[in-house]
Amino acid sequence: MIEVLLVLVVTALATSVLGVFLVLRGLSMTTDAISHTILLGIVLAFFITNDIRSPWLIIAASIVGILTVYIIELVSRTQLVRQDAAIGLVFTALFAAAIILISKYSGNVHLDMDVVLMGEVIFAPFNRIEVLGFSIPNALWQLSIILLVNAGFVALFYKELKLTTFDSKFAFIAGFSATFIYYVLMTLVSVTAVAAFDAVGSILVINFFVAPALTAYLLVRRLSSMIWLSMLFAVINSVLGYLIGFGYDLSVAGVTSFIALVTFMIVFIFNPDGWVNNKIRSMKQKHSFTRAMILMLMNERGHTRLTEREITAHFNLGRKQFDKHMEYLLINDYIEKADGHYTLTERGEEYTHYTRIKYELPI
Amino acid sequence: MMDILTSFTFLIVAVGTMVLAFAGGMVGTISVMKGQSLIGDAIGHATFPGIVLAFMLIGVKETYTLAIGAVLFGILAFLAIQMITSHSKVTLDGALALVLSSFFGLGMALMSFVQGNPDFEGTQGLNDYIFGQAAYMLRSDVYLIITASFISLFILGAFYNQIRIYVFDPVFSRTAGINNNLMNFIILVVTILLISVGLKAVGAILIVNLLIAPAVIGQLWSSRFSIVLLIAGCSGSIAAFLGTYISTAGQDIATGPAIILTLSALMVLSLFLAPKGIMRRSIYKRRMGGDMP
Repeated sequence: MIEVLLVLVVTALATSVLGVFLVLRGLSMTTDAISHTILLGIVLAFFITNDIRSPWLIIAASIVGILTVYIIELVSRTQLVRQDAAIGLVFTALFAAAIILISKYSGNVHLDMDVVLMGEVIFAPFNRIEVLGFSIPNALWQLSIILLVNAGFVALFYKELKLTTFDSKFAFIAGFSATFIYYVLMTLVSVTAVAAFDAVGSILVINFFVAPALTAYLLVRRLSSMIWLSMLFAVINSVLGYLIGFGYDLSVAGVTSFIALVTFMIVFIFNPDGWVNNKIRSMKQKHSFTRAMILMLMNERGHTRLTEREITAHFNLGRKQFDKHMEYLLINDYIEKADGHYTLTERGEEYTHYTRIKYELPI
Repeated sequence: MMDILTSFTFLIVAVGTMVLAFAGGMVGTISVMKGQSLIGDAIGHATFPGIVLAFMLIGVKETYTLAIGAVLFGILAFLAIQMITSHSKVTLDGALALVLSSFFGLGMALMSFVQGNPDFEGTQGLNDYIFGQAAYMLRSDVYLIITASFISLFILGAFYNQIRIYVFDPVFSRTAGINNNLMNFIILVVTILLISVGLKAVGAILIVNLLIAPAVIGQLWSSRFSIVLLIAGCSGSIAAFLGTYISTAGQDIATGPAIILTLSALMVLSLFLAPKGIMRRSIYKRRMGGDMP
């Protein structure tokens, strides 16, 4: 069953390479729309060819995918409908049409709705093809080619992609056609989504596109490192998803998608700029600010000798907080305590001087 | 024709979907105006694991328990989106796509567990919540939809002025003493509630259309908030009635998609014919001589 894992990993790699640009350009939901509407292309082509693995399916579905992008553009360009609303309108309409076609004619043809939408990578090895004398799964063969094409596109047009992604106005002035790059990118996205549909299903393929890229986006700032890192996350997610899904007899694509959210959340919470570190940092800042303010108060005329009551009342501190701050200040020799009164030391006075400079207060 | 209109199944389904579409159109108008249309999409997908989990825990396919599961997961998904967008540089677009697909993936994993497990019986109907099976709607489903819609519209009515100010001018609404977070929360809870009860009728994937399309139609025909709301609600209801009729009259046409397609047709018509639409605009342009900037 190693072939199942291979199909999954190749799918994840082929999608995540493009996913980086989708995330950076804010096209994630557009891709989601495509992944739904390709169903219409698949259904239409399937009615004609009656073969679920026919190349015509990929062509027809990709055309519908591009058409989706174009219609969304067209609708939002009228400026009567916001872009996000346009996405929601177009994909649901085309998807509804596909479902009606399936429900109307599914009696005559064999098209399993669940397989198209949900995908089941476990079944991928049953459909085989002879390549150079080796028998390999058809899905693996198609997706490997697509992986090569996608990686080749990114490598060849790296400069153009980078420019049009980050500074489309400059790209235009410099003579690059942003529209051309955009439509080539979306064509590749459609083709990849179609080829991946029976491995991971047309709803979950969006996860394979964006989740690794988003996770990498949290960690790095360089485009090239983001691409490599997102491919790494793609492999990690699919291997884990495969192991868990296969081990517990669950939907492998479903588990992989959920694992992707888990890895994202772990990175989101624990990365150097993440949630936990931000909380810790802001708490530290709050503490050091309170301490600085206590020292500042003592530096004022008339407040040089303060009792505990006066300080707690002034800063509205609790008993515990007060003890903690005072312990810190005493240990570091900023203040000294004599018969219940706190006074500044020389070191403490020096510190208030720096505080004034730091917060740009009059000295 | 009359025997379709008076048949019991048709009436049940038509009443349910019409009430749902009316409330959905009104509530959806607010989220579309706030630029949050696709949050409904994410929540719709994210309710799926809630439904499967509720079924796993309770063990019966009962309308109310499943709806509660859906509501809980809808809220969970929204909180996840909120947390990701406010504490990192990830945009709303990316966060929506991530949460939507991951939650749906969880739903599928749970679904495969339930289906492979002999302890659970009658799992067949759970798939209906993905694509909607209005034809199998029960009386209890319709009651639930009507109750939820009335609650939503009541809340909307109670906070009408606050919501209106919040939608158009959040800064002013804060200075006027309106709690913006509370308003946002109310709008979301109402949206999640309607999505959860509407799943059986139109399904997790298509339900977002019931929120967006009527709103856009309303905005094309009027500029007054109250009238936009009314048009949105009515166009939703009309589409629901026509869609249900088409699906009952035609053979093997799923109701949810039929409603969505009718609504989309209304939407395209409005896009061309409405006072702010394309046709009127091009006539205006010609009269002004040449292209407007």
